[in-house]
Amino acid sequence: MSGRAELVRGVGLVKRFGGIVANDAVDFVVAEGDLLGLIGPNGSGKTTLINMLTGHLEPDGGDVLVRGQRMSGRPPNVYAAMGVARTFQQTQLFGRMTVLENMLVPGLARPHSTWDEVARRARRYLDFLSLSDVEQLPAKNLSGGQQKLLELGRCLMLEPAVLFLDEPFAGVHPRLRDKLLDRIRELHQGGRTFVVVDHDMESILRISRRLVVMARGSKIADGEPDAVRADQAVLAAYAGL
Amino acid sequence: MRGLPIAIVLAAAALALANAGRLNPYWTHVAIIAMYYGILAASWSLLAGYVGLFSLSHMAFASIGGYTSALLIQWFRLPIPLGIVAGVVMCCALGGAIGWVCLRMSGPYLAIFTLGFSEIVRITISTEDEVTAGMAGLHTHSLLASATRLPYLYVAFALLALSLLLMGLLVRSRWGLFFRAIREDEQAAAASGVAVARCRIVAFAVASGFAGLAGGFYAHYIGIMTPSVGDLDEMAKLLVMTVIGGMERLPTAVGGAFVVEFLLEWLREYGQWRLPVFGIVLLLTMRFARNGLVTPFWLQFLRLGEARVSPLSAAPTVPDKESGT
Amino acid sequence: MSWDYLLVQVTNGAVIGVIYALIAVGVTLIFSILKIVNFAHGDLYMLGGYCAYYVIEYGGVPPLAAMVVAMAALFLGAMILERLMLTPLYSDATERKDEYGLIVTFGLAYFLRNTAVIAFGPFPLKPPSFIPGVQRIGNVIVTNDRLVAGGVGVALIVGLLYFMKRTIWGQALDAVSQSRDAAAIVGINAQRFNSFAFGFGAALAAAAGALVAPIFSLAPDMGVLPNIHAYVIVILGGMGSVGGSIIAGLLLGESENLFTAFFPDPTRAFAYTNAFGVLVLMVFLIFRPQGLFGRRHLRME
Ligand SMILES: Nc1ncnc2c1ncn2[C@@H]1O[C@H](COP(=O)(O)OP(=O)(O)O)[C@@H](O)[C@H]1O
Ligand SMILES: [Mg+2]
Repeated sequence: MSGRAELVRGVGLVKRFGGIVANDAVDFVVAEGDLLGLIGPNGSGKTTLINMLTGHLEPDGGDVLVRGQRMSGRPPNVYAAMGVARTFQQTQLFGRMTVLENMLVPGLARPHSTWDEVARRARRYLDFLSLSDVEQLPAKNLSGGQQKLLELGRCLMLEPAVLFLDEPFAGVHPRLRDKLLDRIRELHQGGRTFVVVDHDMESILRISRRLVVMARGSKIADGEPDAVRADQAVLAAYAGL
Repeated sequence: MRGLPIAIVLAAAALALANAGRLNPYWTHVAIIAMYYGILAASWSLLAGYVGLFSLSHMAFASIGGYTSALLIQWFRLPIPLGIVAGVVMCCALGGAIGWVCLRMSGPYLAIFTLGFSEIVRITISTEDEVTAGMAGLHTHSLLASATRLPYLYVAFALLALSLLLMGLLVRSRWGLFFRAIREDEQAAAASGVAVARCRIVAFAVASGFAGLAGGFYAHYIGIMTPSVGDLDEMAKLLVMTVIGGMERLPTAVGGAFVVEFLLEWLREYGQWRLPVFGIVLLLTMRFARNGLVTPFWLQFLRLGEARVSPLSAAPTVPDKESGT
Repeated sequence: MSWDYLLVQVTNGAVIGVIYALIAVGVTLIFSILKIVNFAHGDLYMLGGYCAYYVIEYGGVPPLAAMVVAMAALFLGAMILERLMLTPLYSDATERKDEYGLIVTFGLAYFLRNTAVIAFGPFPLKPPSFIPGVQRIGNVIVTNDRLVAGGVGVALIVGLLYFMKRTIWGQALDAVSQSRDAAAIVGINAQRFNSFAFGFGAALAAAAGALVAPIFSLAPDMGVLPNIHAYVIVILGGMGSVGGSIIAGLLLGESENLFTAFFPDPTRAFAYTNAFGVLVLMVFLIFRPQGLFGRRHLRME
């Protein structure tokens, strides 16, 4: 991969839930500078894959490597400390804490952080995400779209190298969605790496450089958007839905 | 907490202490016991209210603290304060161990586990009567060589104040923020880089340590330790106090302990009926005022200092480190 | 230790196991429908025992009939409690439902236990035997009361299984426990089942209380340990599985009685028998923090 540093790699990842094989030996790499779309029909195993790549699920088989380091058995906070951030498909905020406090948590979890420095950074990101006006509101009082923005902001407070966003556009008002897309593009230009999950291609195709397609627990395509779109297996997977 | 409320609290405490000598011995005793429960309620709220770890073994730790201190003093003739400290250390260690063991448990599972632990402690203490004197009760040395109770009141007050100060500092530090984040969403906290396991263990150790402190003081105040100090009825009483006061803030939890303990004594003429009535009050609180009955007053009180600043000019200051207290 | 003594312990273990299973099945039922752990279940069991006692003493009703009366009374009483206290669990507006369920049932237990001390007095009471006398098989002696308790308990469990598997109500209950939404789609009113399940669980506990009353006598705090034992069983049996609870109940009853039989120091054996069950519970929770066969347990998190 053209000499760019590899951030997160999954090797032969397997996850079963009872009889369901949610991920069946999936290989996955994300390298610095990627803006990668991870797509696939509902239930194809995208969330499960992200959960394993960020330490939230222990794989039944295979390995996760972050910057070449084997991660098995490490808790999610170690992933976070190593620059791997994520959002959740169902937004998971600290509901009864204020918007600002939501931002402070990841900031202060970093070693050698100080309240002042973290608060300053938090305000900057809140401004960037147009959430400054609501910084003293409890997070649960925000609209759905604002919650997604805040969750993104909370990730940014980790100053992560790579962000996994699980369906960030689902259920978001189109205007907010455009804003979210803009922000992602901006952050990407600023040097951050993204893996963005979506179950339809529409939004993702506007920004992504590389697409990975999942179906029934397996990776069925990985490459340039145009090539992937022409792929027969991909068409079949979507048509067969 | 802003300046004015702090000043009021300090002034009220000073006034109360200065006049404490006027209390008759009975009410002095009640005040001391209220402070004992105050420490327990505050530390339980640290665990259950802040971190969301609904432990039912808190009173068991008070019992362990008391017995540890009493026994060590009996065996090794330690000075009493050292015995109490040993009890605290013991509770911290055991509490940390329990916290570690139940890292993967949440909600009802954690409650059942700690309920089990508490029963084992009680059964063991009752049964091993050669060591603990069992149900007959273990006689302990008195902390102070004083004939009156007043000095104990000062000690109890000092311990409560010290506990509140330390726990207050803890919950206003970044740890407090992490604790609440874990309570709100453990997974998201971990994804935000919070070392959830470490936080949970620390919370258990610290809260249990304070329970041990309360228990140690109690042992050397009352003069006798019985297994019932750590039984489920006591745990239920503590839960009633903390929830009625408001379990998500330290001062409201302490307020609950004070209010309930004083009411229980004041209503003594109604005999046994007081207990089920407080059960009903607890149920009503849960149903209609979940944040606790003391909480609204406390929040109102905290606002005293702000009233002078007009809302418009009240620019958001430094991130509210204190919003949790 | 003689074989006869061992046999007596095995028989006693089976009887106690059946009683445990009755209590645990109630906890399971309530858990699978209401999604809460009922911390007041042991106190419902205690109330059932007292209810039967007073019906016998003042109503002159024969013991088995009194058990049925106690079941009916607890069924109704528990349904009222459920309506009064637990309805917030079903509302979307209620936050932190785990915590709510925990505190409310724990508070309910506190209330019931303390009310019982006042209403029934702190001293143990003993209702008359179901059938006085003992049965002798070889050198093994078992009281008739234990046989009745075991037999009626088994009959109740068989009846329950029949009810769950073969009747419309039982199947609807099963459907609600698996998915509230799906049940709503086929036109089942899940709300009604909340009350029903809570009442039903309480009735089973009442039966257990009435059955053990002549064996162990009644006391206001008699529910505390059986309540914990019920959790052992429920967790051993996998939260939500009725069949698992029955097997686990028998296992626990047996292992406890064998523990007593083999414990080296007889003066402590009885006390530590109770601790033994609790210890089993704790060990299981450590290794299986979410139950053993967890077929349809907690919300996926
Ligand atoms: N915690 C879980 N327990 C049981 N089954 C699960 C769990 N998480 C996911 N699954 C199953 O695994 C499969 C993949 O799910 P998921 O990764 O969420 O897919 P996607 O995110 O692509 O929609 C689905 O069939 C889903 O039902
Ligand atoms: Mg998904």
